[in-house]
Amino acid sequence: MKLKLVFISLIMLASMSLIVACSSNESGDNEGSSGQGDEVVVDLFNIKVETTDQLNNLIDIYESENENVKINVTTVGGGQDAPSALQAKFSSGEAPSIFLLGGLSDVEKYSEYLLDVSDMESAKTAIDGTLEGGSMDGTPYGIPLNIEGYGWMINKDIFERAGVDSSTIDSYGKFVEAVETIDSQKEELGIDSVFAFSAKEDWVVSQFSSHFTAPEFGNDVKTAFESNELNFEYGDRMKEYTDLFNQYNYQPILSLDYSTSVEELFANDRVAIIHQGNWIVPTLNSMDESFAQEKLGILPLFVSSDTEGEIVAGPSWYWGINKEHDEAVVEESKKFIDWMYTSDKGKELIVEDFKYIPSHEGYDTDSISDPVSAEVYEYLLDGNGKIWANNQYPDGFFSEALHPEFQKYLGEQQSWEEFEEAASNAFTEMR
Amino acid sequence: MNFKNRTYWLFLLPTLLALLLVLIIPFFQGVYYSFTEYDGFQVTSFVGFDNYIKLFSDEQFIYSLGFTAAFSAASVIGINVLGLSFALLVTQKLGKVSTLFRTIYFMPNLIGGIILGFIWQFVFLKAFTGIADVTGMEFFRGWLSDTETGFWGLVILFVWQMSGYIMVIYISFLNNVPKELLEAATIDGANKWQSFWKVKFPLIIPAFTVSLFLTLSNAFKVYDQNMALTNGGPFGSTEMATMNIYDTAFKVQDMGYAQSKAIIFLIIITLISVIQLYITRKKETEL
Repeated sequence: MKLKLVFISLIMLASMSLIVACSSNESGDNEGSSGQGDEVVVDLFNIKVETTDQLNNLIDIYESENENVKINVTTVGGGQDAPSALQAKFSSGEAPSIFLLGGLSDVEKYSEYLLDVSDMESAKTAIDGTLEGGSMDGTPYGIPLNIEGYGWMINKDIFERAGVDSSTIDSYGKFVEAVETIDSQKEELGIDSVFAFSAKEDWVVSQFSSHFTAPEFGNDVKTAFESNELNFEYGDRMKEYTDLFNQYNYQPILSLDYSTSVEELFANDRVAIIHQGNWIVPTLNSMDESFAQEKLGILPLFVSSDTEGEIVAGPSWYWGINKEHDEAVVEESKKFIDWMYTSDKGKELIVEDFKYIPSHEGYDTDSISDPVSAEVYEYLLDGNGKIWANNQYPDGFFSEALHPEFQKYLGEQQSWEEFEEAASNAFTEMR
Repeated sequence: MNFKNRTYWLFLLPTLLALLLVLIIPFFQGVYYSFTEYDGFQVTSFVGFDNYIKLFSDEQFIYSLGFTAAFSAASVIGINVLGLSFALLVTQKLGKVSTLFRTIYFMPNLIGGIILGFIWQFVFLKAFTGIADVTGMEFFRGWLSDTETGFWGLVILFVWQMSGYIMVIYISFLNNVPKELLEAATIDGANKWQSFWKVKFPLIIPAFTVSLFLTLSNAFKVYDQNMALTNGGPFGSTEMATMNIYDTAFKVQDMGYAQSKAIIFLIIITLISVIQLYITRKKETEL
C-alpha cells in the first residue's frame, strides 16, 4: 500500500512538473519579445562563428552606451547546420529580431518577416551594388554584413623559398608551373603537399564551383537566382583545376576537413595552397600574429579569360530585421545595426577588431590591416570580383547534389561528364 | 469497482494527455503533411500520394535504407556478442574489480552521440594516421574516406557505445539464474561451457528479447553519431535513413516529402521490431 502511494505521488509530481514546465516556457517567451519594463530585449541570430568574440565585444560596448537595450546572441555555424537552426527558431515561435540571410532564397523564404530597410542609415551608406544580394523586386531587405572574398590562399613564404614569385602568376599555365615547381621541392621545403583542399566540406566545394558558375550566370546575382539551369559552360576549366589539386593534394582528400586543412596544415607551413577566403585571417592571427601579415597571399582563378584572374568578392551575408516583433524591438534592432556600421566606434571595431572588409562607405581603407583583405578590396573596386553564385543555388543543391557528386568524381566513382550531368539535372530538379 | 475505475482513469489522465499532445496529435499531423507540399512555413498544395510514389525512385533514400539495415545487422550482432561477453566476465567472482569493469564498460554510454562521433573521428583520422605513419601499415590510412571503412567506423563507434548498456541488462538476467540449477549442473559433471549453453543461455532468452529490441530500434534510428563521424560522406555513401530524412526536410526544404519518408521508415521499424519480438518471445523458456 505504501509503495502504491509513493508511486501515485511520483506520477502526480511528474505530471505537475510537465504542466509547470510548459507554462514557465510561455512566460519566458513573452518576456523575450515584448520586453517588460524599460528594457528592450533584442534577439540576434549569428552564423559567423569566427567572429563570435568580436561580436560579443561590440555588443558589450553598445549595451554600455544604451542601457535600456539587451541583446541576446545565439551563435550557430561552422560545422553546424545554421540555416536549419534558424528555421527551427522560426518554426518554434522564437523568431529572432535580427538574423543573417545567405542568398536570395533566404530573402524569399523569410520575406513575410523581413523589414524594408531602405530608409536605414546603413542601407544608404552601403557600397553601390552590395544591396542587390538582399533585395527582392528592387526593395532591399538586408544590410550587407561585410565583403568577403575567396580564391587560392597561398603561403608566400613557401612560394619564395621554392623560387616562385607569386606576383608573376598571370595565367593558368603559370599557376600549374608554380604548383609543379613547389611539388618537386617538397622535401627541401618541408611541406606535406602543395594543396590542402578540404573536399570533406560541402561549402568549400560549393565555393570552389562558384568561380566557374558565376560567369555562366553573367556574374549577376539575380540571374543566378532565377536560372533554372546550370550547364557547366566553364566545366572544362573546372575539371583542369580539380585534377590539378587532386593530384597534388594532401590525401585522403575526401576526409580532409576545414580545421585540419587550415589550422593544422596551412597555419603550420605544411602546405602551400588552400581554397579559402579572407575569413581565415582572424583564425590565423590567433595562432600566429605574423602569418597574415607576412606570409598570406591570395591568387585568383583563371576561368573566362586566361590572362585576367578573378576571385569571388562581394557581400556574402545580410542582416535581416524581423518586422513582426514589437515596434520598440524593431526600432532598437534598426538602431543597433545602424550604429554598428555608421558610428565611429562601430566602424573602428568592424575594421580593426572584426578584420572585416567593410561593405559600407565612409571607411578609412588604409586601416584594413592585413594585405589579403586589402587585396580582396582591390579586386572588388577594380571590377575583378565575381559574385557569390553559390549563394544563389537552389536549397540543398550544394550539400545534397553538388558535393556528393563532386566527391564521387574525386573518389573515381564516376567520370567528369557524369558529374556534370548529375549536378545539372539536380540543379533543374531542385529549382 | 466504480471507485477503482474512476481513480484509475484519473491517475492515468496526465499520462494520456501527455501522450496525446506529444505523440498522437503530431503523428496524425505528420501523416497529413506527408500528403502535401510543405516548406516548413506553409502548406502550398495537397499532392495526395505523389510523395510516396516519388520515394520508390529516390535512389539515395533506398540506398540509405539498405545501408541502415546493413549497419543495424552488423551492430546488433556486435553489441549483443560483446555485451553478453562483458556480462559473463563481470559476473565472475572477481571481487571489487568487477564493479570497476562494469563502470568502465558502461561509461561510453554516458557520452552524447555527437561528442562520441568527434572522439572517434579523432581516433580514425589522427590516431590511425599516426599509427600508419609510424608502422607503415597502410591498413590504418584513410579511414572514413571510403565507404567500407566508413561503414565499419560507424559500427565500431556504435558497438562501443551500446555494448556497456546492454551488458547491464544481461547482468541482471544472469544474476537471476537460480544457483541451485548451476550447482546441479556442476554435480552432474557439466563443464563451464556446457553449463553456459545448456543452463544459463536458455534462461536468459528474455534478456535477448529486450536487448535485441533496444539495439535494433536504436541502430535504425542512429543520427548524431552518423552526423558527427562521417556526415554521410564520402559522396553520401554512409548516409543513414534518418540523416537522409533530415536533409530532405531541412536542407532541401522539402518537408512534406521528408515526412512521407519518415512514415515509411516508421512502418519499417515497427514491422521489424514486431517480428523480432514475436520470434524471441516464442523462444523464451518459463521456469
